[in-house]
Amino acid sequence: MVMSAASPGVLWHTKRALSNLAFGFAVFVIVSPAILVMLWMLSLSLKNEVDNMAYPPVFVPSPPTLANFEAVFVNSNLMRYLVNSLLVTGGATLVAILVGVPAGYGIAKASAHRTAICILIARITPALSYLIPLYMLFQMLGLTGSLWSIFITHLVITIPIFVYVMIGFFESLPPDLEEAALIDGCTLWQAFRHVALPLARPGIVVAMILSIIFSWNNFVFGAVLGGRQTRTLPAAVYNMLTFEQVAWGPLAAAALLVTAPVLILTLFIQKEIVGGLTAGGVKGG
Amino acid sequence: MKDRKTRFSRRTALKIGAGAAGVLAAPAIMKVARAQTGGFNWKKFQGQSIEVSLTLGPRANNLRTHEKEFTELTGIKVGSEVVPEQQHRQQQVIQFNSGNPQFDVTSVSWHVQKRLFGKSKWLVDMKPLLADSQLTAPDYDWPDFTAGGVRWATQADGRMDTLPNNIDPWMIYYNKELFAAKGLAFPRTFEEIVMAAEKLTDKSAGIYGWVSRGLKNANVPVWTSFMLGHDVDPVDPTTVKLQTTTDGAIAAAELYKKLNREYAPPGTVGFNWNEAQTSFSQGKIGMWIDGIGFAPPLEDPTKSRIVGKVGYAVMPQGPKARHSATFGDGIGIAAGSKKREAAYLYCQWATSKVMCNRLLQSGGGSPCRASPYKSPEVIAGLKLPREWLSCLEASSAIGRPGLPEIVPVTEFRDVFGVGLTNTIGGADARAEMQKATDAFAPVLAKSEA
Amino acid sequence: MTAKSTAMDRGYGRNYLPFAYPALLITGAVIVFPWLFTLFMSVHEWKIGSPRAFVGLNNYARLAGDERFIESIGTTLYFTLLSVVLPVVLGTACALIFNERFPLRGLCRAIFILPMMATPVAIALVWKMMFHPQLGVLNYLLSLAGLPPSLWHTSLDTVIPTLVMVEVWHWTPLVMLIVLGGLAAAPTEPYESARLDGANPWQMFRYITLPLIMPFVVLAVVIRTIDALKAFDTIFVISEGGPGTASETINIYLYLQAFAFYNIGYASAIVVVFFVLIILMAMVLLWLRQKAKWS
Repeated sequence: MVMSAASPGVLWHTKRALSNLAFGFAVFVIVSPAILVMLWMLSLSLKNEVDNMAYPPVFVPSPPTLANFEAVFVNSNLMRYLVNSLLVTGGATLVAILVGVPAGYGIAKASAHRTAICILIARITPALSYLIPLYMLFQMLGLTGSLWSIFITHLVITIPIFVYVMIGFFESLPPDLEEAALIDGCTLWQAFRHVALPLARPGIVVAMILSIIFSWNNFVFGAVLGGRQTRTLPAAVYNMLTFEQVAWGPLAAAALLVTAPVLILTLFIQKEIVGGLTAGGVKGG
Repeated sequence: MKDRKTRFSRRTALKIGAGAAGVLAAPAIMKVARAQTGGFNWKKFQGQSIEVSLTLGPRANNLRTHEKEFTELTGIKVGSEVVPEQQHRQQQVIQFNSGNPQFDVTSVSWHVQKRLFGKSKWLVDMKPLLADSQLTAPDYDWPDFTAGGVRWATQADGRMDTLPNNIDPWMIYYNKELFAAKGLAFPRTFEEIVMAAEKLTDKSAGIYGWVSRGLKNANVPVWTSFMLGHDVDPVDPTTVKLQTTTDGAIAAAELYKKLNREYAPPGTVGFNWNEAQTSFSQGKIGMWIDGIGFAPPLEDPTKSRIVGKVGYAVMPQGPKARHSATFGDGIGIAAGSKKREAAYLYCQWATSKVMCNRLLQSGGGSPCRASPYKSPEVIAGLKLPREWLSCLEASSAIGRPGLPEIVPVTEFRDVFGVGLTNTIGGADARAEMQKATDAFAPVLAKSEA
Repeated sequence: MTAKSTAMDRGYGRNYLPFAYPALLITGAVIVFPWLFTLFMSVHEWKIGSPRAFVGLNNYARLAGDERFIESIGTTLYFTLLSVVLPVVLGTACALIFNERFPLRGLCRAIFILPMMATPVAIALVWKMMFHPQLGVLNYLLSLAGLPPSLWHTSLDTVIPTLVMVEVWHWTPLVMLIVLGGLAAAPTEPYESARLDGANPWQMFRYITLPLIMPFVVLAVVIRTIDALKAFDTIFVISEGGPGTASETINIYLYLQAFAFYNIGYASAIVVVFFVLIILMAMVLLWLRQKAKWS
């Protein structure tokens, strides 16, 4: 907030206090929907059926039960699906960094919008339209049911995200430093690698987060192309979760188990966000 | 055409239904060499492993719970997956279409998939397997299967590509306590249903006389249940023409509209069977129409508030007829499977007397064999009240298919389901049914041509 | 990826394109076959289980006269408009808030972005349980506040706003993140000089902040628009396109045709038309973005 240059009086302090209060209230309002839904999911998963069906709703289960989580683990192979998800999303994001960041740079510098569109077509196409042809294609290649097929299709999710975010990012970077490097005799690649890339950290972080989210949470490809052993986590849960189930407890437990890894990841990545963004901010000043 | 004639005679035969005692024994279409020792061995294919893909539900639960027994019996390893209905159907079609599905055995919903699977020959014909004494257990007892089940499992061209697993007749669950409080007897006719629903409904107390599926696609069986009471099939079996704008069909739609609009809890337009079941199990609903296989959670104290208060009633008399809409499923072997024999052993085991008895006892469905219903031990071990069993038998006796036997069944359910949902919102029943009929007729003509 | 270079080359023209080749190669490889397949199928009539037949542009003609399809376009646009405008406005506001330093900012930020990380399929189910008209917790909360219960996704009138609400909850953090990135990279000199000139906070926002973050806001709008047009998981899980067809967007209708009715030919035509629609919208937005580029 802007600091006034005049010396503070009581009125100013009161105004300050009130505006701080208003600010705090605003923060509370925008943060509460997020946490409340998560807490409700937790509550549902720890209650038995009778409590879950109660009206008025029971908020704190008494006694809480882990039976729902047990049911989820017994009925499906969650650990394996978790590993599958890690492999697919991790791999697809890694490849996307290696391939998408330079691509974003190149397209931004060359103002090659048509090339950008070509890559973005992948993002724009409805995922459903990929399914049947890709299934048939992988069928011919003998890849159906293997993690490779899911991994390959996830590249189509992660690469365009990186490309698009990095285009925006590199376009907003002033070109002076690279020009200086080029005049000094660097090749284009060297200018990219040593000048532009280090500055690109905030953009890469944002792109990485988006890429991980969209790849992890995608269930369509894992559900159709995956075999019983190679489904990804959301796909496995999608197969379990259905409006056809009576039980809210196991549903909530499964939902929690699926979102938990990503949420925990968020807590770790959160520091990176702060780090990445403040580095960019500091640089500007 | 021969095709339609076969269907017509099957239709009559199906009216005999599945589980009633005294039903015709399955015709001896195949000569099963009984009581032959040597040759058949459960362990013949031990060491192999098969993939089984099942639809989520009580039948799948039954099979999965006892899966280890199968492996002990045969030495065949089973990798099974249970998938909810909608997703399962897509997966099956996508995989079958590719020519090389990943599963060896799969469950088949006759009322939705039979024609499609049969037309495309995606499943193995069971008849030669049944006739092979090397592969069929001597005590399998094929004649124990009911004529109704066998007819459902048989395609128009004579192939029988599934083994009959389950028949699901529709009936009405009712809350005995609420009925007693108002001094009402269970309705005997459609008019009485409306009167009972009205008397039971007390909106200020949050009590409603009726609940049923309102969600499009899922709600069509409710309508056809009423339609059958007017002696009308949604699609005429001989001419394959829609009869959805006949007086009977419109009257059924109007009954659906009235009950759901005036005597059902708000939000029924979004209800599939499980929301309706949840509502009913809370004790504030008078009547719930649905399949008889959904009973077990109602008698489960950890899930239901009305344990012991549930009444099981057969569909009341309609203006012209009395029928219970029936649906069913079987279990089949994928045509592309490389482990047919092992898969066949699984299917056999799944429909064996032991497993069928268990299915009936748990209330998870009604097997297509006659013996479970007549066996005193089975009946004594029934986990549900006797009333459930007698309702099941009586409903099967008046059973009639609740959905037309055509290829585009899902589209039929969707188009007419949307119309029905719209009536709950207030749209005119006749107009909606006409609109749906006009939209669907070309689809039907094209697919059955 | 060696770039051709001369020291004097300023980087205009084709020399930068090799940077993009690997990405182009991979994406192209994966989407070429599906696209060819889709285009091929869109001029055929093929229902799984029946033989295929060439029908030329018949599918497209049918689409033009398909009332249900036309309706779905309207539904999609209505849903998309709300799902883009609300998160963008709210997200930008939240970005401004999070740009300030305050105690526990890191923790609040972490909590705030949780919704967008959650798996849509799973979370939508939780929402659906909350929306249950009789047993759901949301109607309970409404009753505590003295408000009448809502029918949420079970009524024709409230189903789209209900779905939009879930989308807003889910994606506002994304917009916040994007705009925050822009805010964080913004230089402080303009603010200094403006303050010296005596500008008030609103003026500084309007004339300094807004133009600075505009490219990022536009980026967020484009991403949101494309995603909202294609939204599937949430709608499918909560309302399945219902009641009736009230929340049936183009993507849901596409799903029905392809995976419930198995009309692959017709569904392929829908994909093509849908794609054209998305491209048109994206182009309009990209053009706006070019105009708003900060340099």
